[in-house]
Amino acid sequence: MAIIERPSATPATAGAGAPTFVPPSQAMGIFHRPVATTGWKSWLFTVDHKKIGIMYGVAAFAFFLVGGLEALLIRTQLAAPDNTVLSAGLYNQMFTMHGTTMIFLFVMPMISALANYFIPLQIGARDVAFPRFNALSFWCFLFGGIFLNTSWFLGGAADGGWFMYQPNASNLFSPSHGVDFWALGVQITGIASLTGAINLIVTIINMRAPGMTLWKMPMYTWMILVTQFLLVFAVPVISVALFLLTFQRSFGGQFFNVDAGADPLLWQHLFWIFGHPEVYILIMPSFGIASEIIPVFSRKPLFGYKVMALSGAVIAFVGFGVWAHHMFASGLGPVSVAVFSASTMIIAIPTGVKIINWTLTMWGGKIRYTAAMIFILGMIVQFVIGGLSGVTHAVSPSDTQQTDTYYIVAHFHYVIFGGAVFGIFAAFYFWWPKMFGRMLDERLGKWNFWLMAIGMNLTFGPMHMIGLQGQPRRMVVWPSKLTGDGLFNLGFWNRVASVGSYMIGIGVIVFLVNIYRTHRKSNTASLAPLDPWDARSLEWMTANPPKDHNFDAIPTVHELDEFFHRKYEEVDTEHGPKLVKTTTAEALLAEQEANADEHIHMPSPSYWPILLAFTLPVISYGIIFSIPLAALGGALLLVCAFGWALEPSTAPESDFDPPAEAGPSKELEHVG
Amino acid sequence: MSFHRNEQVGTVQDMHSSRSSVARRSTSRRAALAGLGMLGLFLAGCAKDAPQDTFQPAGENARTIDNLQRPVFWIAGVIGVIVFILMGYIMVRYRDRGQSLPEQTHGKMSLELGLTMIPTLIMVGIAVPTMATIFDLAKTSDTECVVNVTGQQWWWEFDYPVQEGCVSGGIKQPIVTSGQMPIPTGTKVLLKIESRDVIHSFWVPKLNGKKDSVPGRTHTLRMEVDEPGIFSGQCAEFCGLSHARMRMEVVGLNQADFDTWATNQLEPYEAPTDPLALTGEATYAAQCSRCHQVDGLKKDDGSLIVSQPELYVVSGAAPNLTNLMTRNTFAGATWDLLTPACRDKVWNASPEEFGALYLKGVTRECLNEAELRDWIRDAPNKKPMYTDPTKLEPSDGKVRGMPALGLNDDQITELIAYLLERK
Repeated sequence: MAIIERPSATPATAGAGAPTFVPPSQAMGIFHRPVATTGWKSWLFTVDHKKIGIMYGVAAFAFFLVGGLEALLIRTQLAAPDNTVLSAGLYNQMFTMHGTTMIFLFVMPMISALANYFIPLQIGARDVAFPRFNALSFWCFLFGGIFLNTSWFLGGAADGGWFMYQPNASNLFSPSHGVDFWALGVQITGIASLTGAINLIVTIINMRAPGMTLWKMPMYTWMILVTQFLLVFAVPVISVALFLLTFQRSFGGQFFNVDAGADPLLWQHLFWIFGHPEVYILIMPSFGIASEIIPVFSRKPLFGYKVMALSGAVIAFVGFGVWAHHMFASGLGPVSVAVFSASTMIIAIPTGVKIINWTLTMWGGKIRYTAAMIFILGMIVQFVIGGLSGVTHAVSPSDTQQTDTYYIVAHFHYVIFGGAVFGIFAAFYFWWPKMFGRMLDERLGKWNFWLMAIGMNLTFGPMHMIGLQGQPRRMVVWPSKLTGDGLFNLGFWNRVASVGSYMIGIGVIVFLVNIYRTHRKSNTASLAPLDPWDARSLEWMTANPPKDHNFDAIPTVHELDEFFHRKYEEVDTEHGPKLVKTTTAEALLAEQEANADEHIHMPSPSYWPILLAFTLPVISYGIIFSIPLAALGGALLLVCAFGWALEPSTAPESDFDPPAEAGPSKELEHVG
Repeated sequence: MSFHRNEQVGTVQDMHSSRSSVARRSTSRRAALAGLGMLGLFLAGCAKDAPQDTFQPAGENARTIDNLQRPVFWIAGVIGVIVFILMGYIMVRYRDRGQSLPEQTHGKMSLELGLTMIPTLIMVGIAVPTMATIFDLAKTSDTECVVNVTGQQWWWEFDYPVQEGCVSGGIKQPIVTSGQMPIPTGTKVLLKIESRDVIHSFWVPKLNGKKDSVPGRTHTLRMEVDEPGIFSGQCAEFCGLSHARMRMEVVGLNQADFDTWATNQLEPYEAPTDPLALTGEATYAAQCSRCHQVDGLKKDDGSLIVSQPELYVVSGAAPNLTNLMTRNTFAGATWDLLTPACRDKVWNASPEEFGALYLKGVTRECLNEAELRDWIRDAPNKKPMYTDPTKLEPSDGKVRGMPALGLNDDQITELIAYLLERK
């Protein structure tokens, strides 16, 4: 697919007077096109997928800490019976924001961080298909997340639960603006997810290196591709639901007004048709990470590559057919309940296939227990526990006892925190050397793992019992008279869970300490070679960190695990054919540099994405507080959209200061 | 520790191998210890006699669910243990001990298919009884007694409509109560569950799974109790500020005791004789009867007082207090009307003694006066509700919950004397 080429403007002679024409990039705006490559402007206006990835990661981690603090406050409130640390109103805001922050502002953007950074590298591309669009995704996420959190200071945060059931979340029953902030904030971050999904799908389908068929893509790329399809079909549903909610709350809509004839279950269906695929969106990337890390640290290829790819696609597909298992107690008839119970049981099977294949990958291997590997092994163990409790909910009569209790809280924290988040931490340890040229300390990494793992199991393990023995969720207090007798009653386990949550917090602090110690300039031991793990895929065949344009020469791919096969050759020995390492990453990189492409063209930075993203919270504040402000925001949005559309993806010569020498033309090459 | 290597050493990780080989053994050992620790904790640990324990069914429907959930938990547990033992074995057996690069196997379809078949068969095995149970629990054709359940922020109302069942000879006049729902033992009761405002969920774990109460819809739930006793429940769908304080109890009474209870509920109003209670009656009529119905209470002119909570309360109702002291919890079943000692006697009574103890109701000696005083004096302080008169614009001035009435201690004493006679 060709990107439209734009002929370069005739460059002005260096040092001569003003040009006699108006350069295209100045036609719309007052400001020159940003062209800085260093400093804060190079971050604010970047379209480079790697910088965007890092910004996604930093922002997402900051929200992780915010959500974590909210969790610690919740667990502190629940550490004792009839506790008074948080009032009921504040508690309801706390658990709503904890869930919303962790899902929409931590896990999803962190997935985008890693995907943005590594997908182009894994497929041998120089950037994503739509770089400015990519920047827009990031800024929408950041501004949406900040907007959502300003609600704390503007009348109270949302307090209807992250699932925001109607009619409790209507104006009558939730009069503060919190729910409005929630609806608009999640809407904005939804735009980020949707635009990011479109971008990555086009990138993966169109921009793979020559020779890289779909069956030669790394499994992480496969899982990200499946995840993006999930997003494309699921996010519009929540967008619709949020529009209905906003119109109901701000403009007199009657969509969920029972007195006007509405059925509150409409919201539930819309929310869960999004909400169930959403959880597969959260976990599939970590499945992909596991499929990268286990082969590397077992020294064997992924067992059953095609089955793994297809099982991912099957999970995604069936994942759209199980949503009403969140509604088994909501008053659906027995036929619906039976159908969704069956479909939920079906989805356990392709998931189990993945566990089997990872296990068989390790079988017969040569396993190294680095921090990345033990985080992945922890992920698998915890995901199995969470997955098995998930199977128990598929049995819908049991689920009518389990739903809305701490048993469910245990289940989803095991799969999301124990599963997806541990996978993300594994990816940190695995990919840190490539992103930053330094290796996180392994010893601190193990402390990080054990504190988080033991803390996590202490927090959420007992919740299985607490739920099955009668404690519902979303309760600001629990009374002693419902805790039963004996030392190990529900009160005891609530206390244990609270202690565990603090241990998780300490584990996260250890991770931050690890980052700090690793990056101290005096710490030369942490400087990383190009290929510290003897890895298998193309992202390791680059500099540390990769150059702006990723690859000096786009590699031609001949097989799966291309990088591994360039390093290892089969050699005949007296004991039969053996794989022997014949070259290193350093040598391969030098070879690339020697054969570097002459014309490497990269898209130029732009300020339209951040400006356009900025108009969205302006419109949202307007919807809540002042319609004229919303109209102003809308007008600005149109200006930005036009400005963006009229701007070429690459800046003409005359935008560079000082003007570039007459050299290679700035036409864009065919890509992909 | 030395290694023999066939391949070139090219990575930093190889140089760290000797250190990591010690680390990996202690990693595996620590993993095993952690696993044992978790298992120990788990086995040590269920609460004894938790009032809402789903593993202690006290009625047919909960038992049906328990009979299905136990084998499924066992199967899940066994599968989990097998997977973990396998993983533990692999983690030890195939750790890097300096062996050469392993055989680069890519897969084996027969193994894949076989290992996929096993979970599929297990799932089918679980699915069949599940489907049967779903339809069993949805059955309404064998109903012997109907109770209407209405959820409202933040309490439950129970009304027994006119019908042939429940009471020997049938119910001739509707009975309205709240907080505690007596039903006859061994009877197939059907609850018809609705809501007046937001979504709530009716859940009494020892008797059945939960069913949401959704405004604009009616949902059914089977309810059956084996033996006399009192069974705790809670609202189980987040419903706003005091979701945590919206509870209820189901009370099982044998048929004779239930008949006695029902008759008592419909007995005509008896004006108080005690002078303090008489003053309380007047205070009640002036302060409380606007929202809280007491059947038979008359105005000064002799006409019946009919409460009109729909004028003051968003959701349109307030608990009927006609026979308040025949139940032993209040304010959404959140606090006991009984002192702890009396409560223990009733709640822990054997099935044979329970009925008589329950039917005694709340006596002066057993009244938990402090809690009731606190509530009447300043209800929103005890249970967060939307009753601040300055903040009621979104609801056109109507409250959600019981407001603080500004009564002094004397008035409260009178009211309590009056309420004690509501039996």
